[in-house]
Amino acid sequence: MFEEPYRWMEAVSTRHNYVQEKLKMGQPVLSVPFDSGVLIMGFAPQQGKIFEIYDRIALGGVGHPADVERLRMTLLDMAHLEGFNRSAQDVTLARLLQFGIAPALKQNFEEIQRAPYIISLLLVELDSEGHPNFFRVNYDGHWEAFKNGTVVAGNEKVVKEVQKKIQDTPFATYTLEKALEETCRLWDESRKHYEEDDESIPKTLKEAFDQWYLEAAVLSGKVERRAIYRAVTKEEIDKLKSSVG
Amino acid sequence: MSSKSDSKVSPGDFFGLLEKSGDRWHAKIDPSQSQSGFNVTHGTTVLAFHFKDGVIVAGDRRATAGNNIMYEECDKVIPIDDYTLMAIAGVPATAFEMARVLTHNFEYYRRSQMQTMSVEGKIRALSKLLKENVGMAVQGLGVVSPIFATYDVKFKKAAIHFYDMLGADFKISTHTATGSGSPTIRGILEHEDIWGEKPLVERSEKDAVTLAIRLLYTAAQFDSATGKARPEDDIFPTVALVTEAGYRFLSDQELAGLCKTSLKRGH
Repeated sequence: MFEEPYRWMEAVSTRHNYVQEKLKMGQPVLSVPFDSGVLIMGFAPQQGKIFEIYDRIALGGVGHPADVERLRMTLLDMAHLEGFNRSAQDVTLARLLQFGIAPALKQNFEEIQRAPYIISLLLVELDSEGHPNFFRVNYDGHWEAFKNGTVVAGNEKVVKEVQKKIQDTPFATYTLEKALEETCRLWDESRKHYEEDDESIPKTLKEAFDQWYLEAAVLSGKVERRAIYRAVTKEEIDKLKSSVG
Repeated sequence: MSSKSDSKVSPGDFFGLLEKSGDRWHAKIDPSQSQSGFNVTHGTTVLAFHFKDGVIVAGDRRATAGNNIMYEECDKVIPIDDYTLMAIAGVPATAFEMARVLTHNFEYYRRSQMQTMSVEGKIRALSKLLKENVGMAVQGLGVVSPIFATYDVKFKKAAIHFYDMLGADFKISTHTATGSGSPTIRGILEHEDIWGEKPLVERSEKDAVTLAIRLLYTAAQFDSATGKARPEDDIFPTVALVTEAGYRFLSDQELAGLCKTSLKRGH
């Protein structure tokens, strides 16, 4: 059935539609710089959107939890083997992406007999010189790099709009507190693009705080330890809730 | 893409990951190489004892090969994770490699399983490495005699474990020391604990550090393989604390002052 090229292209196109449809309701995960590091955050009905990958690398994911998990484990395995065999300094996000998961995702997507990954990933790194690097990777292995922060979400319009706002906001000058407030506002604005009659999505930021989980973590250059990832604390979230909720 | 379907590998197992990728060292016993009645040589002094806030771990900085002093700035107290330190005596190549495997093992577990490995799990991980190293140890190539100090955040308790070269671990409730200089100071530690002003576990951070510096100085007096502090060259012993806040190494600046005062009578 797939020996004719147009059939293969048709099958690939169908897969794009299938994955995009499945991702449609995926809630945004945002990552932005702030004055002493990088913030990554998102609201979700259950936890499992933001993860630590290596000393200076974090992951945010939208999509099927099992697929996000498989890719998270792949990244973890690659990073830890590289860090063990060479050095933690050799574990860079660009290498993990370019030589690791991106080619594998592309191959998996185009092998149309296999189930595609239903994911959109945001990867972020604070490199050893303190510069943040942001990447977005799609289910088909396509990846993009960003300088000032980025967002992943199931809805394309949300991605475009929030990306533009991130670009226009001087996040790198903000404190963590302000960066959290501003990303919450961007998340709040993004809700208008989801179907209004969808009962499962909180109608206000307050509802989001009350009904969903806010997952947030930072890669902070101020930490003396090798691993610079830390989850945003309950106290920091409570403070945020009282200022924006 | 990797799969986690291998039933022999438990989730979060870095040893398993290493083995699968072919990176694991294999230290099988080679009968033709085994020596009878070999001597374990440790040219070093490392010690650990409980104090009021947790555990103190200290070590000298000298590395020797036979009668030769090879290096005076060797770090024998190695951070494994935020709450764990390993002090090493024995063959540095094997000991450093063990520390590296453990560091990755604990971090890999924490990140992949999204929880910290239990203290018992950490203690067993080092046992496992030592057990697998028996082949090298009996061939006289890789004997390691480590001290493992950690803080159990869940139970709010510090722990010191000492191991034999076969991997048996011994929980230490007061103090321990290993290396060639250790026989000199083990008696002093016991004396201090029983007849000193206070038991070791009740001593303040300052008193604990003072004692550790004095012990290392004493060991160096009697053991040529233990290095003395050399303030003129900015070489000081390694002194680290493991408490509820994690591990903390004393800086050279702090040690410079403390070495000066500690070695005076009456302080």
